[in-house]
Amino acid sequence: MIELIQEQVYQGLWRQLNNCIESEVAEEFLQTLLTLMKIMFVIQPDYRRNIVNFNGRYQFASKDGEVTVAAIFGKNRMKVVEGTIKDPNITVTFRSGKALLNFLLSPKQDILISMLNREIQTNGNLNYISKFGYMSKRLLQLMPRL
Amino acid sequence: MTLLNLPDYSLENYTLASLPRLAELRTLSLNSKPAICIERARYITRFLRKHDKPDDAPEVRQARAVHYFLRHKSVQFFDKNLLAGSTTSKPLGAPLFPEFFALYLWPELDSVSTREKNPMTLTTAEADELNFEIFPFWMDRNVIELARTRFGNPRCLQLFENLSFFLAGKAGCISHAVPLYKPMLEQGLEGLIQIAQTRKNQLAADNNPETKQQQDFYAAIQIALEGIIIYAEHLAEEAENLAEISDQPEIKNHFEMIAKVCRHVPAKPARSFREAVNAIWICQVGIHAENINMAMSPGRLDQILWPYYQQDIAKGELTVAEAIEILGCLWLKLSDNVTMVPEASEEMFGGAGTVPAVTLGGVDKEGRDCVNDLTYIMLRVTELLKTRDPNVNARYHYEVNSHQYCRRVSDVIINTRAVPAFFNDVKNIEALMGQGETLEHARDYAIIGCVELASSGRDYPASSSIMLNLVACMEMAMYQGKRPITEEEQIGPVTASPSQISSFEGFWEIFKNQTRWLIDQAVQLNEMFGTIHQQMMPSPLLSAFFEGPMEKGRDLIQGGAVYNSSGATHIGFANVVDSLNAIEEVVFNEKKYTLEELFTAVRNNFSGSDGEKMRVYLQNRAPKYGTEHPIARKNARNLTRFLFQTYQSYTNYRGGKYRPAYWTMTNHAGLGAISSALPDGRRANELLASGITPVSGAAPELTTCLNAVAELGGTEIPGCWALNMKYTPEEDTDAMGKRFAQTVEAYFRSGGQQVQFNLMTYEMLLDAKKHPEKYPELMVRVSGYSAYFKHLNEHMKDELIHRTQYNLTNGHAVDFPE
Repeated sequence: MIELIQEQVYQGLWRQLNNCIESEVAEEFLQTLLTLMKIMFVIQPDYRRNIVNFNGRYQFASKDGEVTVAAIFGKNRMKVVEGTIKDPNITVTFRSGKALLNFLLSPKQDILISMLNREIQTNGNLNYISKFGYMSKRLLQLMPRL
Repeated sequence: MTLLNLPDYSLENYTLASLPRLAELRTLSLNSKPAICIERARYITRFLRKHDKPDDAPEVRQARAVHYFLRHKSVQFFDKNLLAGSTTSKPLGAPLFPEFFALYLWPELDSVSTREKNPMTLTTAEADELNFEIFPFWMDRNVIELARTRFGNPRCLQLFENLSFFLAGKAGCISHAVPLYKPMLEQGLEGLIQIAQTRKNQLAADNNPETKQQQDFYAAIQIALEGIIIYAEHLAEEAENLAEISDQPEIKNHFEMIAKVCRHVPAKPARSFREAVNAIWICQVGIHAENINMAMSPGRLDQILWPYYQQDIAKGELTVAEAIEILGCLWLKLSDNVTMVPEASEEMFGGAGTVPAVTLGGVDKEGRDCVNDLTYIMLRVTELLKTRDPNVNARYHYEVNSHQYCRRVSDVIINTRAVPAFFNDVKNIEALMGQGETLEHARDYAIIGCVELASSGRDYPASSSIMLNLVACMEMAMYQGKRPITEEEQIGPVTASPSQISSFEGFWEIFKNQTRWLIDQAVQLNEMFGTIHQQMMPSPLLSAFFEGPMEKGRDLIQGGAVYNSSGATHIGFANVVDSLNAIEEVVFNEKKYTLEELFTAVRNNFSGSDGEKMRVYLQNRAPKYGTEHPIARKNARNLTRFLFQTYQSYTNYRGGKYRPAYWTMTNHAGLGAISSALPDGRRANELLASGITPVSGAAPELTTCLNAVAELGGTEIPGCWALNMKYTPEEDTDAMGKRFAQTVEAYFRSGGQQVQFNLMTYEMLLDAKKHPEKYPELMVRVSGYSAYFKHLNEHMKDELIHRTQYNLTNGHAVDFPE
């Protein structure tokens, strides 16, 4: 029964992520992405390999101040934290959920244009966002048929 | 034997049909799909993880890492090329340098092979190795991150990462150099190693710290050069194996010859033309083991190789056809690598080669005409192969070199539609002497990468240290230190608002104030990166091919070269000059609009009918750079002078000066696409003019345009420039060739430093954009280098299409088709 409920939760999250990708509005995108990422690191050993021995602190914030969330990697785990954290390796400020989605997941990488157009602003070590972009794209490959 | 002995300097009897090897290799090269090569990243990372000794001197650590890579580097023979050695493990490889930007490929590891623009093959196993083994090691260790940590994420680094103010080249490379191969050819690498040993021995008794550094440096040279020798031995072994297993006499002989060459050079002095060419190529490969593949330029090959050619021809051991074939093989080897460009960067850098520049002709150190048979042979090779790389450049001294030579270069440009570029010896020698170079050294200059000048093997000019966006300076002057793209953020100093500015001189001072501030930021960052390079990326191997380091016992990165400048190039020159012209003439002379009205309209992108009316007026009535208008000429001169004086006031971390230049690669297209409108009537997001070229459509008369640019030439532009001209091809190529050469000569006599051409029409380029399949090999000059049109991003294609096309017969600009 618990497994069934879990499965339904996963399916719901994947559907939500898929909706974000396919629709013009993507305000829930970040939260959904981080939650799915966290789950998949737990249940998928191959995917978990990406964070073995990896320490990284990511701060995400929307420009309007509505969203402030952090992802912390350490001890082969991922933790999602509401609010601001100390000493992030990289801070990503985004104008909208859609802008962040394009920045991280667009098949045609829009990092440069997003940055030049100020859709996305970063402060810190861009290598961390490169790794996060890769893990986000890998996550999409794990998406079940919906 | 005299310098000129060929019965026919066009060498038209030598064709690809009569040189089947070259024809085959050329086809293979043009059809090669680039693949990412992770070999260097793998071995350098492995070395640093397992074998590095952090207490060693930086030069020794680097030498040991490079040696380790060269010892393990795979040996590949992909085709029938007569020369052994390859920069990567792929026929057309994009090597990864994790010390710089390689990690930006990370998000693309699964898609780079199939991406829409310029895909590069990467296997799943290679992608996994990068993801799990290589990239994680470098996350906090590349040049940018070491600088961020050491200097506390400084403001100048943040401005650079915004990408729209300036680019800092050292985050991605230094490279950009012309090594000196003559000593290597004459003494072999063993001879150079012996020199280092002797110098080390001479210092043995001395115990002061500086001496220890020198000893370490000499040891580093030895370690690095031994790496090249080992690589050459591996090439010989593999060639011997391939010869042994082949039962076809022709193939057996081919590999036996290669083995014989590699058993001898570059360890020992070259004995023949072929050995000399292969020795140079193997050393180029070695240099790329240490330095990223960006503009590592072999220099004046017609001069360096002349003694070997002359000797073999005299002995009857070489024919002209064989020389063409060997040099053709070198040209194709020089094209065997590309730069890894993340898809995100294609917008700004797409389509660029690695720009190894070859320099031909001109005068020798004594000022004598040094055009020789090899000059003409290399021109013929360039004409036959029509490849993007190497970037071939022809020096021309109008008082010394023959008209016949100038005419032959012109004919090659007409036949290839794009190459080589022309360089004016008189002005470029003057420019280098203005930087304190001796006459002899200045005369022995070669081109680096796009257009930059360097005394061969004496000058380590880090010529792409800064790429400054002049449009950013103009915007900051207009908006009190802010820019539309960065909204309310205060970037530069708070300067006067338009209502407070009562004269053009007042605005000019504000513009200079903002520009000085931005230059200072760019210089600060370059200095920081330089310090990081000194610790992390010294170049003992490259230093061995320079005059200076061996004598001083000091690496290039520590100021070991004879000359140690840094280069700063500029984007948006013509648009900014025209904007200054518009402000001076329309606002302060004519008083047609107030400064506030102008800046408000510009900020609103000339919206509304009044805005459009103003825009059309500015575009059509304000003075334009590229014409004879005195205001335009004055502002162009004042801007180049101001930039020259500002940069020259700085001394870099190696003890040299900053040298301004005007070439833009594809950045004028990329930055134009994100720049707001300007007072010259340019709308937001439209392209900026390339290099030092006037804005498209602004200069209707060819001669006037050339004169307006030429009068800027000389000591105030020591980094040189790229002037892009587009001519209508003509049916009577003979008559065109004559006019072409005359026009170049007149432009040079007026002071022009450089010019490069595209011989194509608006219609042809529009068609090539629409039907790329019809133009698979169309090569174009971008802004300093050549590219295949099909590989360029859309912005850059549009820029090339819209460049002013001139009819050489009547000297007028051709109307753009409706």
